[in-house]
Amino acid sequence: MAIRVNPKLINELETYGAADVQNCYHCGNCSAACPFSKEPFLIPRRSMRHLQMGLEEKLKGTLEPWLCYYCGECSQQCPRGAEPGETMMSLRRWLTSRYDLTGVARLFYRSWKAELVALILVSLATMVGFLTMGFGFGHGSLDVYAGAGALFPDHLVHLLDLGLAGLLAAVLLTNAIRMWWLTTGRNRGLHISLWSYVKNAFLLPYHFLTQARYSQCEKKAPWLTHLAIFGSWVTMEVLVILLLERFHHQETIWAVHVFGYLATIGLLGGTTYALVGRLRKRETHYKHTHPTDWMFLILIAGAAFTGIVQHASYRWFGLDSVANIAYVIHMMFVVPLLAVQIPFSKLSHLAFRPLAMYLAAVHADALADVRVGVAQTEPARLAA
Amino acid sequence: MARVGVFIGQFHSDSRIAFDSLASYAANLRAVEKVRLLGLRPKVDVKSLAEEIRREQLDRIVIAGDSPGYFKPAFTRALELAGGDPGEVRLASFREHGAGAAEVTDRAKAVLACAVHGVPYPLVAVPKPTVVHPATLIVGGGVAGIQTALEIADAGKKVYLVERTGTIGGHMAMFDKTFPTLDCAACILTPKMVAVHDHEMIELLTNSEVIGVNGSPGAFKVKVRKRARRVDVSACIACNACTEICPISVWSEFDSQLTHRKAIYIPFPQAVPNAYLVDPEACAWVQSGGTRCGVCVKKCPKECINLDEQDQTVEIEVGNIVLATGYDLLDAARIERYGYGKYPNVLTSLEFERMTNAAGPTGGKIVTKIKQKNRRLKVEEWVADPQGPPPKSVAIIHCVGSRDTNYNPYCSRVCCMYSLKFAHLVREKLPDATCYEFYIDMRAFGKGYEEFMERIKAEGAHVVRGRTAQVIEADGALVVKGEDIVQDRLVQYPVDLVILAVGLVPATGTAELAKVLGVPRDPDGFFSELNYNGDPTYTERGGIYVAGMCQGPKDIPDTVAQASAVAAGVLRSISTGGMGNLDSLALSEIEERAAKMQVRER
Repeated sequence: MAIRVNPKLINELETYGAADVQNCYHCGNCSAACPFSKEPFLIPRRSMRHLQMGLEEKLKGTLEPWLCYYCGECSQQCPRGAEPGETMMSLRRWLTSRYDLTGVARLFYRSWKAELVALILVSLATMVGFLTMGFGFGHGSLDVYAGAGALFPDHLVHLLDLGLAGLLAAVLLTNAIRMWWLTTGRNRGLHISLWSYVKNAFLLPYHFLTQARYSQCEKKAPWLTHLAIFGSWVTMEVLVILLLERFHHQETIWAVHVFGYLATIGLLGGTTYALVGRLRKRETHYKHTHPTDWMFLILIAGAAFTGIVQHASYRWFGLDSVANIAYVIHMMFVVPLLAVQIPFSKLSHLAFRPLAMYLAAVHADALADVRVGVAQTEPARLAA
Repeated sequence: MARVGVFIGQFHSDSRIAFDSLASYAANLRAVEKVRLLGLRPKVDVKSLAEEIRREQLDRIVIAGDSPGYFKPAFTRALELAGGDPGEVRLASFREHGAGAAEVTDRAKAVLACAVHGVPYPLVAVPKPTVVHPATLIVGGGVAGIQTALEIADAGKKVYLVERTGTIGGHMAMFDKTFPTLDCAACILTPKMVAVHDHEMIELLTNSEVIGVNGSPGAFKVKVRKRARRVDVSACIACNACTEICPISVWSEFDSQLTHRKAIYIPFPQAVPNAYLVDPEACAWVQSGGTRCGVCVKKCPKECINLDEQDQTVEIEVGNIVLATGYDLLDAARIERYGYGKYPNVLTSLEFERMTNAAGPTGGKIVTKIKQKNRRLKVEEWVADPQGPPPKSVAIIHCVGSRDTNYNPYCSRVCCMYSLKFAHLVREKLPDATCYEFYIDMRAFGKGYEEFMERIKAEGAHVVRGRTAQVIEADGALVVKGEDIVQDRLVQYPVDLVILAVGLVPATGTAELAKVLGVPRDPDGFFSELNYNGDPTYTERGGIYVAGMCQGPKDIPDTVAQASAVAAGVLRSISTGGMGNLDSLALSEIEERAAKMQVRER
């Protein structure tokens, strides 16, 4: 197969946040410093090289950016200020837009204004939808929050939750399949056994739930922050989607509420830590913030805060009407976060990350003849 | 009188010269009949030019601009076609005559005026000769200072050579071999050192520092502090009796802290002046105010030790000052991941130079350090001892702190080559040892350097393209981790000895000296030369010159070449009275002198 070179690839990546890639003079310091760089995956220099050379197809099919967790060690040690860590981050954004067939991800990553408009539109649509549901179909009253005659009946909301979840799952699945195709399926050189797929399948839920690989970075705080936000978010999703009716039960069910409170603390604490970090820019991985990162964090923080208002007004103060209003505002944060960011933006990595770990293990099996790990032998002597 | 046509080319859009003002100035000059601005993208057509020349009846053409020579052929032919004398095409080159300084337009006008009058600009613009004191001060007694001193003194002029340490020789005296010829460094340097010592025109001021400079170019008054040596140089016979009895040992600077020296010591046996000196920081007598020890005084057969000698300040008069202050190594401990200072067998390049030197602490044996008990301080220390086990494998890491935006952004220029030299020395002395070279780009730029590199590769050193990320300790051995770029894989090699090719920085005290002398420095801290291509030995201050590493990293051949070139400038200044660079006169003065010279010419 002929190799096509896209000389403008770097310029394209720059619209995704990459900078200074051309500074790299390939000393290999970054790959040697990276805790995750293990053959056959040499992170991050190989991708830097491919990027400089404009090898678009190779980059489309690489898993390496997904194996990087941006601890920042490479960027700190880089003698040229080429920011390899940030390049990996930008490549992940670019790859997300490659996996997405609609082209919407590309639009959102390259234009924060477009994403902001989309978020606002979805937010307004959510408001209109809920008001229509409440006052149109539900025949409910603003003064009733739960139970009979509620403004937003539980079963309707539940239906909406499931519908949205199903839709998002379908989109994510398509993108995941496309990722598999680009990285693995179309690669004729890889001979992968079915057993390898089965054997490594446990990696998907394992990495999805624990982000264990992130914990191997030298600094643990970023992993803990990530785990706090992610764990709280998953807990919330489970509570809301599966146990919504219990949530709105008149009696306080501690088994449900304890988790709810913990998740709220996790979301608020995690996002505050990340926001403060990104504002202070002291740590390498917080130095560069893409607009999508801000939107993501602000949406989560907004959702958590309005959730608290809603909960407090209903549970603690008995202000049902305030709770109803707060709930609509809450959904105006939650729905855009899910409907825009999961399929087309930052949040999509919840599917791509574990899938990449899984596929990386499968690839490593297939390339078993290539030594995995670090070479111990001497290099061949250069010919005199 | 000749009818002159002036053609001004702008050539660069970013020029700071005011061209309109220049054109009207030219039009007002005597004999100028025609002025034309050629514009930014001049198209010169010989036929129409010849027509123009004939119409204006021009006898002389002046082409002015940054690179006027580019148009000389066209104008020469045009003048010839028009029936004129083709020798009457004159160039007024602004860049060549330094119209890059603050008063650019004035300088350009002066250059143009001289060309119109047909007299060479330098002849007119060099200030009136001043009386230049025939003596020269050289700061720094390394190979650059030694070379300059000998060149000037051999021409019969007085030289003061001020050296901060107790001996001249500098870093080169620490080396065993030089690249790429693998000559013995001492065989080249020590005869020169002795020649300096014996030269009747050179006054050597070791253990001394320049602390103040007054006066102007041609007549500097320099204050030099002579730190007390506490040993009479003329009487000392270097018998070593004092060192033998001295109870105090401290780390030896000359041996790069690989071993100890005494408080009264000689840096190395061939030191010049060949006499001992006392380290007041270490000497018990000096530190206790004359109440303790003092055994060396009693032991000295020549009675030449005076432990109570005081520092002196002397003032010397010189006409020119040459800076040859050299360099230091970057503090390798700053780059923590290479473990210098943490692991005893991670050495800097200078430490290895001493270790491999036949006159060094190990007698030229390449060894790993061993623990020894320091009896006085009662602590265990890692010392390079000839009894130490030789390394089975050695890693040499290039670009430590060089070409790195976190440390030195610049290339230190000598490391690639001396690292290759190290590989050769390791393989020569320990034929069974494995030797790894980690490099980013191999910079073998000099005469014979590329061939030297090929030779070292052929000798069997493993040359790995890729910068090392880390040196760690595992199972009692050092492990070097890096990426082999060429083979696209990660490597880690267990080694016994790591040598860091540490980047070079200006010598300590460079900033203070620059302040004392009023000489500007580069962003990297090295002294700034007047013009990188044209005047690499002059500085912005007239009468002050730079030679060697203090102007920027360079190898020994380049250093010696620059040192000799400096001598030419100094001698010219002494013999003609002209002061170094072309310090321009005021425009009116230049015009006047140019007009006068033209009259004389005609």
